[in-house]
Amino acid sequence: MRKKRFSNFFYDYVQPLISNKKSLAGSIILLFFILMATIGPMIVPLNMNSDFANRYQRPSLQHPFGTDYFGVDIFQQIVHGSRSVISLTLLASLFAVIIGTVVGVARGYLEGISGKLLDAIITVFLVIPSFPALLILAAIFADTKLNTVEVALIVAIWLWAPLAKQVAAQVLTVKSREFVEASRMLNMGLGYILFSDIAKLLIPYIFVNFVTQLKSAMEFSIGLMFLGLAKFDPTHWGVMLNYALYQAGALYTPKGFHYPFFVILNIVLLIYGGILLAQGIEEVFNPKLRGHE
Amino acid sequence: MKYVVDRVLYLIVVLLIAISGVFVLVNKMPGDPAYGLAVSIAQQRNMEMERALEIAHKLMGIDPHEPLIVRYWRFISNLLKGNFGYSSFYQTSVNEIIAKALPWTLFVISLATLVSFLVGIYLGSFAAQKRGTIIDLVISGIASIIQAIPPFVLAVLILFIFAVRLRVIPLGGAYPVDMEPSFSLSFILKVIHHALGPMFATAIPQMAAWTLAMRGNTSQIMEEDYIRFAQARGLKDSVIANKYIKNNAMLPLIASLAIAIGYMLGGHTLVESIFNYPGIGFYFGKAIAVRDFGLLTGLFSLIVIGVIVATFIAEIVYALIDPRVKLK
Repeated sequence: MRKKRFSNFFYDYVQPLISNKKSLAGSIILLFFILMATIGPMIVPLNMNSDFANRYQRPSLQHPFGTDYFGVDIFQQIVHGSRSVISLTLLASLFAVIIGTVVGVARGYLEGISGKLLDAIITVFLVIPSFPALLILAAIFADTKLNTVEVALIVAIWLWAPLAKQVAAQVLTVKSREFVEASRMLNMGLGYILFSDIAKLLIPYIFVNFVTQLKSAMEFSIGLMFLGLAKFDPTHWGVMLNYALYQAGALYTPKGFHYPFFVILNIVLLIYGGILLAQGIEEVFNPKLRGHE
Repeated sequence: MKYVVDRVLYLIVVLLIAISGVFVLVNKMPGDPAYGLAVSIAQQRNMEMERALEIAHKLMGIDPHEPLIVRYWRFISNLLKGNFGYSSFYQTSVNEIIAKALPWTLFVISLATLVSFLVGIYLGSFAAQKRGTIIDLVISGIASIIQAIPPFVLAVLILFIFAVRLRVIPLGGAYPVDMEPSFSLSFILKVIHHALGPMFATAIPQMAAWTLAMRGNTSQIMEEDYIRFAQARGLKDSVIANKYIKNNAMLPLIASLAIAIGYMLGGHTLVESIFNYPGIGFYFGKAIAVRDFGLLTGLFSLIVIGVIVATFIAEIVYALIDPRVKLK
């Protein structure tokens, strides 16, 4: 039984990923960064002691990405920072999926005033522009030391609403179908109907949504760090970018150009991997887009 | 008609929830807006900080002991009268700041959105027609890579490369400080010159998004039966491409144009702060930095109202241009 489940999972989700060129390329890029985050810090040691004699060294064999304003190796920081970048992104997407599904299912199932109110709350989170709101949140938490879970929740607040809307629409259409009616007639209980009958239909949506929001999760968490939630982790890439541009003024000195350059390069490559994976997955799972490549 | 009324009422409820949430959030922000003033009073008059804070609060018209609910009620009832509040930092009404800042923001975002929309539509449909060729690969590839650059990173890069290094665009402001606003040609040229940085930072990510959206829509429509039928009827390829495909692929995007402009109102915050461009976003960033709660809630309300109105317009436009979406 377990084995069958696994092979179903493989054929339903893993195989389509590999068969599409874009999602394959995206998966390889993301896998590279996940490896960097999991085993990278074990292989590459991190030495954060300032060494002003070696400030702004150009990239070399000893320092693949050069050194920063304090003479600290940038490559080491990128590798160690990937851990918090990746874990934040995955956790934020996971939270968003959980909140979005729960709220969406509730909205789809509830009728009358409470349903309408939930609908309004979903719309509120859809219409509030996220960057100004993130700016306020960054200011509120600027002096607090937050852990990964807390930052992931702050990011997830801006990601869950589109999924909730989709899930709610799905539940609304499904709710009146025969097999749900049948379960209801058989007194199977709300829990069974929601989690067994309806959830089965929702899994592809949730899966696609998890991947498509990875890009925003990365962008938001890096933005939040960049905007000054700097007490989080000094090697997080958003914090590094903030240091590079505002603390060290690296772009004002011609010698320091490589510092922000390598940070930005890694950020863009990571997000690009997320975009490729998302585009590929949408092509695979959205039949309307199928057959265009 | 009933649908429209229902929709408006619903959006007003949404607006109220959003504004109330932001009001509570802002008022939970740590920091006292009067603190800076109190420090200078304490130094000048050589008095205790507590006493100085009290004087500063009086001078700025802030009552720290006033319950939140009273403040909230005043904020909402003022908003209903079209009064966005009072800025304690600038010592003036928020409406006055909006009147000063909104034209700059609208100028940049509407021009940037319009240009990026037109170019994106063209590039997207062009890429879709050349599907599978190198041209398509280059256009959609570059667009995807641009999408991978967070907008704030792009803005910072433009500022540093073109303003700091190459010095071809100014570092900030909407026009030179030593110039009086007038309708002279030299002033208008200066205004355009100062807007270039924020405009490119706004237009480039949008252009990529429009291109990809248009390419997707066009590809989808090219598979539809009526296109095959048109081809079978022997219509010219150029007629099919422009009249049948391009128009139909563009229609849904026209509806999102309104939403895009609405969201830009908020998304422009970082661009304006980075370029020191005196629009809504610049004052918003300033309000956060100096803990000006009145200015902050006022500007945020304005942004949310903008987005909601834009969403509503988009819904109406969509219903008008797409006969399949009938108003119930």
